[in-house]
Amino acid sequence: MAINFSLIIPEMLVAGLALLVMIISLLVPKDQKRGLAYFTVFGLIGVLVVLYFMLDAQGTLFNGMYIVDPFGSFMKILIVLSSIMAIMLGVEYVEKFITGFLGEFCFFVVFATLGMITLVSAGDFITLYVALELMTISFIILVGFGKHIFRASEAAIKYLLLSALSSGVLLYGLTLVYGAAKTTSINGVMEYIAQGETAPILVLGIIFMISGFGFKISAVPFHMWTPDVYEGAPTPVTALLSVASKGAAFGVLFRVFMHALPGNQELWMPIIIVLTVLTIVLGNFVAIPQKNIKRMLAFSGVAQAGYILLGLIAFSTVGVSAALFYAMIYVFCNMGAFGVIIAFSQAGGGDEVQDYNGLWKRSPFLAAVMLASLLSLAGIPPLAGFFGKFQLFKAIMEQGYVWIVFVALGMSMVSVYYYLLVAKAMYFKDPHEDSPIKVSLPIQVTLLAITLITLFLGIYPTPLTNLATQVAKTFF
Amino acid sequence: MITLNHYLLLSAILFCIGLYGALSKKNAIAILICIELMLNAVNINLVAFTKFLTPGDLTGQIFAIFVIVVAACEIAVGLAIIIAIYRDRSSVDVENLDWLKW
Amino acid sequence: MELHVIAFWLIAFVTLGSALAVVFLTNIVHSALALILTFLGIAGLYLTLNADFLAAVQVLVYAGAVSILIVFGIMLITRGDGRMADTNIFGKYKYTAAIVITAFLGVLSHYIIKTPWQMGTAALSENTMGDIAELLFSDYVIPFELAAILLTVAMVGAIVIAREVKNPK
Repeated sequence: MAINFSLIIPEMLVAGLALLVMIISLLVPKDQKRGLAYFTVFGLIGVLVVLYFMLDAQGTLFNGMYIVDPFGSFMKILIVLSSIMAIMLGVEYVEKFITGFLGEFCFFVVFATLGMITLVSAGDFITLYVALELMTISFIILVGFGKHIFRASEAAIKYLLLSALSSGVLLYGLTLVYGAAKTTSINGVMEYIAQGETAPILVLGIIFMISGFGFKISAVPFHMWTPDVYEGAPTPVTALLSVASKGAAFGVLFRVFMHALPGNQELWMPIIIVLTVLTIVLGNFVAIPQKNIKRMLAFSGVAQAGYILLGLIAFSTVGVSAALFYAMIYVFCNMGAFGVIIAFSQAGGGDEVQDYNGLWKRSPFLAAVMLASLLSLAGIPPLAGFFGKFQLFKAIMEQGYVWIVFVALGMSMVSVYYYLLVAKAMYFKDPHEDSPIKVSLPIQVTLLAITLITLFLGIYPTPLTNLATQVAKTFF
Repeated sequence: MITLNHYLLLSAILFCIGLYGALSKKNAIAILICIELMLNAVNINLVAFTKFLTPGDLTGQIFAIFVIVVAACEIAVGLAIIIAIYRDRSSVDVENLDWLKW
Repeated sequence: MELHVIAFWLIAFVTLGSALAVVFLTNIVHSALALILTFLGIAGLYLTLNADFLAAVQVLVYAGAVSILIVFGIMLITRGDGRMADTNIFGKYKYTAAIVITAFLGVLSHYIIKTPWQMGTAALSENTMGDIAELLFSDYVIPFELAAILLTVAMVGAIVIAREVKNPK
């Protein structure tokens, strides 16, 4: 059997990088690990370049165990990008608040990245499950390793118990689907469903799978862990958790439901629709009273997950490409917002919204980045988020779900309100102290790049939409 | 005659016992133990499917091996976190974990 | 009655009984001991399903390693007052959860019984260990390698998290 190893070069590079960083971090003295962090970033940039050139690659490995296609590569780019940004933004935060653990931070981020990029390429339930758990366990460790941070271990145990529970349920669902289709491969399940018979047990399996994946993308009612874990975790980890792990979970959700289960759409679509509407409505409304900015962003992230799910409901090339576009934008906006929180807390600021009073006077740069990110999340033109939402609504409209468009539109109005509350605090209130905030160079560079990309994609989205449309053709 | 349904029902009951414990217990270690019960129920499903539905193909058994590996990892990390928390607070009662709202 | 029918009912009785004991005993050490019995019962079930390799793995990994880990964990965290009688009690959702789970079990069993299973006809593998090994290193090599990395991650992570903090701020 000839194996085309060139298809899994990125995965091998990431695995090698993770192990290398782990070994080097044992040799480097404790207070000189910053170089190691930048080495990790360079390694990941190398992976990014390889992934870019592999965008057109298509093929399967080991009898369909592993699927490499443009969709997977797009999601991998998204994931690796967010890991790079998380490390860049997090280096000094970790040095300051979790002293002596910078090496651990770097290699666990890379291990989590490995789990996520194999997850979006999984062509078989076994690969899917192991990759999912590699991602989850790396994240649990990342959430809990900051023992100096108040609440981190508590957030970690909540995350562990709830995610173990949810993956137990997901696993039960996967076995039921295996029992019905007599195969664990996604292609095999597709062929089984194409025959047109639906075993009762399959229905149950799909429902369990939806709840398992719903937990990972934090869809209502499986979102309960999100605010607690986001608030308790070290902020760079929260940032990565909110974009990359969600992105990877969306990748696998789209792959399973669009690739393996399109044959019995009428069965699971109503569940997804109910879930999406609940997610959008509840996420936005519960975000309003939040006083803590990380909790607010957690609920806004729940709502954003609902918007991305709209792409699955549309079930068309336009829908998937809009969802991919939106997911990419969401990565930049959320990273921007969390980057400001990281820089602010390094300067001694708290996480409450009122702590941000008068940020404009203390650091015009941070306030501007935060404003751009939040407005983009709210979907206000000319920022990139507007175009993403517009496309999603258009895709849904084409499928005739007009009422969903109205709900989503109304809820984005609501979201403008709570995003503007933060803007109001930053620009119209007086600061508690006047000392200017110094932002370090790596954070400045990263935040500047993020903001420029958000602006650029808002004004000229064509390159990314073309790419997303190309990628979305994988499924149809 | 023992059929597939016997095994599946046994596994379903075991899964529900585990789920019940995981939802209602107070001690974090007890919750971890109950999650182990759920994963074992999943394994019974997998092995039973292998014997009765796809006897020529050992996929189900291999899946079960991976589930065992992951379960061992989960419990190791879980206990490490529980020990870290206990060192701080001398309690592992999940209802006392109230720094963050549930 | 045939021998394997008796074996099944006996093992099922032991497994479910000890699983119930895990949940309903109020001393966490007793629960952990009942858990070992459950694991052994499940290993017996694997034997009735001709999965000899998995039965061995179950005994080694679950009844051996995981149980020891849990007992060690309990030992490390219940130092101090030494009162063990109520270390494993129910929280406030005891009755709600019971009702929900019973309904859930009803739905689950209904669907399982309703499903028309198409039994496989091929012969069961005689040499399960050899066949599993061959599959693990051919088709399933990616999850196999990932599992190896996962074990490393879990081990390093457990050390990082459980290590005593020398200089709290």
